[in-house]
Amino acid sequence: MSEARLISLTVNGETRETLVEPRRLLSDVLREDFALTGTHVGCEHGVCGACTVLIDEKPARACLTYAIQMEGHEITTIEAVSDAGLSPLQRALHEEHGLQCGFCTPGIVMTFEAFLRDTPDPGEEEVRDVLSGNLCRCTGYQNIVSAVMKAAAEMREAAGD
Amino acid sequence: MKPASFDYHRPQTIEAALDLLARYGEAAKPIAGGQSLGPMLNMRLARPEHLVDLNDLVELDYVRETDTELEIGALTRHHRVANAVEVGRSHPLLASAASTIGHYPIRQRGTLGGSLVHADPAAQLPLIAVLGNAKIIVRGQSGTREIEAGDFFKSVMTVDLRYGEMVIAVRFPKLLPGTGWAFDMFSRRRGDFAIVAVAATLRLGDEGHQPVIEMALGGVDAVPLRLDLGDWFENRDITAAGWTREAAAHVAATISPEDNKMVPADFRREIADMLCENVLTAAIARARGETP
Amino acid sequence: MTETSKFHYIGKPLPRKEDRRLVTGHGRYLDDIIVPGALHACFVRSPHAHARILGISAEVAREMTGVVGVFTGTDLARWTNKLRLAPPIEGLHPTEIETMPTDKVRFHGDPVAIVVARDRYIAEDAAECVAVDYDVLPPVTSIDTAFAPDAALVDDSLPSNLVSHQTFSAGDVDARRKEAHAVVEASFYQHRQTHVPMETRGCAVLWDPGREHLTIHIGNQVPHPLRSQLAGRLNLSESQVTVMSPDVGGGFGQKIALYREELAIAALARHLKRPVRWREDRAENLMSASHARENLCRTRASVTENGRILGLELELAEDFGAYCFYPANYMSRVVAMIVTGPYRIQDYAFEMKVALTNKCGNGPMRAPMAITSWVMDGTIDAIARQLDLDPLEVRRINMLRPADLPYRMATGEVLEDITPSETLESAVNAIDYEAFRKRQRALRDQGRYVGLGLCTVVESTTYGSAFYKSAGIPGSGHEAAWVRIEPSGTVNASVGLGGTGQGYETALSQTVAEGLGVDPSEVKILTGNTDVAPYGMGSRGARGGTAGGGALFLCARKARGQVLQIAANKLGLNTSDDMRLLDGQVERLINGEWTATGLTLADVARNAYLDPTSLPEGITPGLDFSLTYDPPPMTYSNSTHACEVEVDVRTGALTILRYLVSEDCGTVINPVVVRGQQQGAIAMGLSGALLEEVIYDETGQNLTATFADYMVATACELPNFEILHHHTPNSRTPAGIKGMAEGGVMGAIGAVTNAVNDALAPFGTVADRQPLSPQYLRSLLRDRGAAARQNEQE
Repeated sequence: MSEARLISLTVNGETRETLVEPRRLLSDVLREDFALTGTHVGCEHGVCGACTVLIDEKPARACLTYAIQMEGHEITTIEAVSDAGLSPLQRALHEEHGLQCGFCTPGIVMTFEAFLRDTPDPGEEEVRDVLSGNLCRCTGYQNIVSAVMKAAAEMREAAGD
Repeated sequence: MKPASFDYHRPQTIEAALDLLARYGEAAKPIAGGQSLGPMLNMRLARPEHLVDLNDLVELDYVRETDTELEIGALTRHHRVANAVEVGRSHPLLASAASTIGHYPIRQRGTLGGSLVHADPAAQLPLIAVLGNAKIIVRGQSGTREIEAGDFFKSVMTVDLRYGEMVIAVRFPKLLPGTGWAFDMFSRRRGDFAIVAVAATLRLGDEGHQPVIEMALGGVDAVPLRLDLGDWFENRDITAAGWTREAAAHVAATISPEDNKMVPADFRREIADMLCENVLTAAIARARGETP
Repeated sequence: MTETSKFHYIGKPLPRKEDRRLVTGHGRYLDDIIVPGALHACFVRSPHAHARILGISAEVAREMTGVVGVFTGTDLARWTNKLRLAPPIEGLHPTEIETMPTDKVRFHGDPVAIVVARDRYIAEDAAECVAVDYDVLPPVTSIDTAFAPDAALVDDSLPSNLVSHQTFSAGDVDARRKEAHAVVEASFYQHRQTHVPMETRGCAVLWDPGREHLTIHIGNQVPHPLRSQLAGRLNLSESQVTVMSPDVGGGFGQKIALYREELAIAALARHLKRPVRWREDRAENLMSASHARENLCRTRASVTENGRILGLELELAEDFGAYCFYPANYMSRVVAMIVTGPYRIQDYAFEMKVALTNKCGNGPMRAPMAITSWVMDGTIDAIARQLDLDPLEVRRINMLRPADLPYRMATGEVLEDITPSETLESAVNAIDYEAFRKRQRALRDQGRYVGLGLCTVVESTTYGSAFYKSAGIPGSGHEAAWVRIEPSGTVNASVGLGGTGQGYETALSQTVAEGLGVDPSEVKILTGNTDVAPYGMGSRGARGGTAGGGALFLCARKARGQVLQIAANKLGLNTSDDMRLLDGQVERLINGEWTATGLTLADVARNAYLDPTSLPEGITPGLDFSLTYDPPPMTYSNSTHACEVEVDVRTGALTILRYLVSEDCGTVINPVVVRGQQQGAIAMGLSGALLEEVIYDETGQNLTATFADYMVATACELPNFEILHHHTPNSRTPAGIKGMAEGGVMGAIGAVTNAVNDALAPFGTVADRQPLSPQYLRSLLRDRGAAARQNEQE
């Protein structure tokens, strides 16, 4: 068995140390070592998207990442999104009833926080294409799509477009 | 679903990476994007003793153009391959195919080198590499090898890579001006591996010259299947009505895909038939300067 | 929506209270609960479909660093009782399940040993080292092979694999067949599926050896019935067990039964005197949690020349898998009881057979009776095809008319307050049936094949105790509630439901608000903790709204009565007649106008708690109310689904062009939540009908244990849904609530399949199986193509 090592990770702008075996998934370390339980574990093989976090501002599966790989990278989790109150996307999900059990929601928020930054004016088809990387069993997706469109419009307006 | 124990290495140079790969041989596995290897590790289908993380070799994350070639570093992520200006300009087929890999977050992590080495028979990038006679640049401690993509893929998830070697880059010949191209795939859901994928490039022959048509299929054989249709195409007017239908039927009759419970062989052949027709039609349109 | 103005808070489209914590990642699901010192469990599972266990060797695993112990079925047999199901139902064999198999495994994924270790990584390492010696037995992998005379026995204690067999006949179907113009036969095969909650199963269990008390954290739909089961199986009293269900990442029926894994973890926590937790991984969930559906229905309809159904016969067979966590007739029975749905059919007979096979055991999945409406409306389409009639006209001629209600179905079930012809007409009107037919003909000429499918659903929603009694199943359909107005005037309320994402904290607060007369924001709903909630039957079927909402509404009404009595006393009035509470303010009706009295609920609450001697005579201190409520034997909602599809005949690929549903689910508590349930149910139905499938090979190996193989629809495979609302209140329930959330599944699978068959009509082929995969549709078209070529040659 491989020795545990002390690693230092930057999570939501804070540097934190923890002792990990190399095989420990980033999703487990975030949840168990750092008590950031908003990152959910739905499949551990990269399909469902519930564990999506940002690595250096880009969305990635925490379950396909080993925590030890993340030294020197910046990780952002759902807990950081609402630092200054609900984000436009979070608010739109609430207003459009874009969540039911809520288990998949943090992964969807993380995916689209990144996507909308790069693509401020997406079409509905494009939103559905990006959303296809997150499985939701409750909503049928329709309200999530409207929430993303609504948030995008609101963010464009706030940006002064 | 937790991986078996492994030791972890994070080389800072290509030489250090090669050194580690050579030292641990078959006990080592390089990891880049981890989008295919990660699931295999978590399900314990892959159980390396040593994981060699290539993500710090940022010098392998590049897109470069020469007069005739587009060279892309092995660590270049799919999202960049799909969106880089150079790729869109000199190999739009590659860009188009890369944009269909997996899902948006998967494309942010997955790499060109990783996709080629993983060698799924239905994957996009191996297909485009084989179609365009790309050269896979492989390096080991004993030196560098350039392998034709057609020779690189040996079987299902098996490539011509020896222990201690790693893929460094891929050189795709640029599409010549006037080349029509198209890629299409069929899957049950968005983001899944294709049941069949087809790519083609073609140039319409000038007066008195034969057209040049290259075509390859993924998902119909253990490796991407590049078709040599020269004899069949000879003396045919590819712009004639009904030609693409005839050509697609010919291709479908040529292949012999695997038959299994989930995807019967005759179904795969029908899909190949449809995709070939779509792809040839679109490629001809592009060759004529039209938007398909 | 046709606003029912008599309500102040019911019917308001309030966004959900629970969203804030869920969108910010501060929800609290099972795995988010920290249990200091908890050990982690991992199950060793059978690689075989059917095999005798000859021996289990765990020495190596036990010696590994971090491993606390390895336990087998023999250990658990000492600490737990078996599950015996023996309801007095004719034709149903009693069954028993061990907590973990000691003698043989019955499906690929059956648990044979548990490793308990410091963490899940080590537990998985050790599980790999547990060596089990098996003698492989022949597997039973289909209904047909299960009933073969030489079939291996799945359950050695039964005489055959036919675990349940019932017949029924009303009227005279033989006579109807003889007098019929035609007899139309149709068949419907629904494949095996599984629930796929995004949060898998799991539990964390603490045993307090001093108090001798067991606390189980577990995402569950039915906390109290689960507690009864757990106590019984562990030889504990119900007062020694607390069930706590936190935020739950979806259930869909998978989180009702007490599963063997959960019982085993509880037993180990008690045995080891240390907390033990288990989080099922996705492969286990797909392979071993609970499966659903896989049933085959054949109908035979005796019809007149114009398609009027004189008599209907149904043969139903279900592949129930290896174990009975529910009585084996449980799901099929509902299908058989209500299959005639919105149609007038008095001559009806069924035969129902349930097979045990070497697959994961079946359980109810959102719309356990999912196949029902497809079978009935698919039969209607078969009649139209055979007699060359318009399928819409065949529906119209058979459908219940308003004057037929209340309607006693051939099985004795009574339909009332439903509106099937209204939903049908509004759906075909909205979709513009005639225009579609024109477009369809024009497109066919261009080689494009579109189809329109209709499916009218009568959804059994709330099962009252009388239903269970008549079905012979021990149990109740009642629900319990308490409402407590605290000294400050804020309101806490609880009910025995177990939410899994339905928005109870919002919708149920509206029912309390309505009953009491306060703003919903003043009401907090507490559920899931058996020490807090009253003993209710939990969330299953579509009972939450009627049984749970109804109980809370009535309990709040009771509270309001007392509040107004105290208020009247404070105001020096003799009676509380002509008084009401609205938004927490006491008002009086003076000269036909509601007039403020200046008194608030908080004033009344202070009086009740802090100055009880001034309360009117006969009123005891405090404001604490409880109530149980038993709904009618059954309530029904109804809907008509209309789905337009295009089939690419070259590939068999299916595109949904338009999806519309016209639904009447009575009084709607919260239209936002209801619409979400409608969309989600249709999505689950379509995902199942088009993509999902649990596949076992001939040896009983499960081939679909990953999300790459078990295909749940993504956002790209599902359309937007148009929903038309009708609100015909139920005359026998509080506030006219009916319940809903399963009918969407029923309608979706019927509408989409009927649409495909409409699209394929020119080819003379009929899809009678699901999933409607391109492979399957191509095989139908290919066969027709071959047949056509054959005909040409002949």
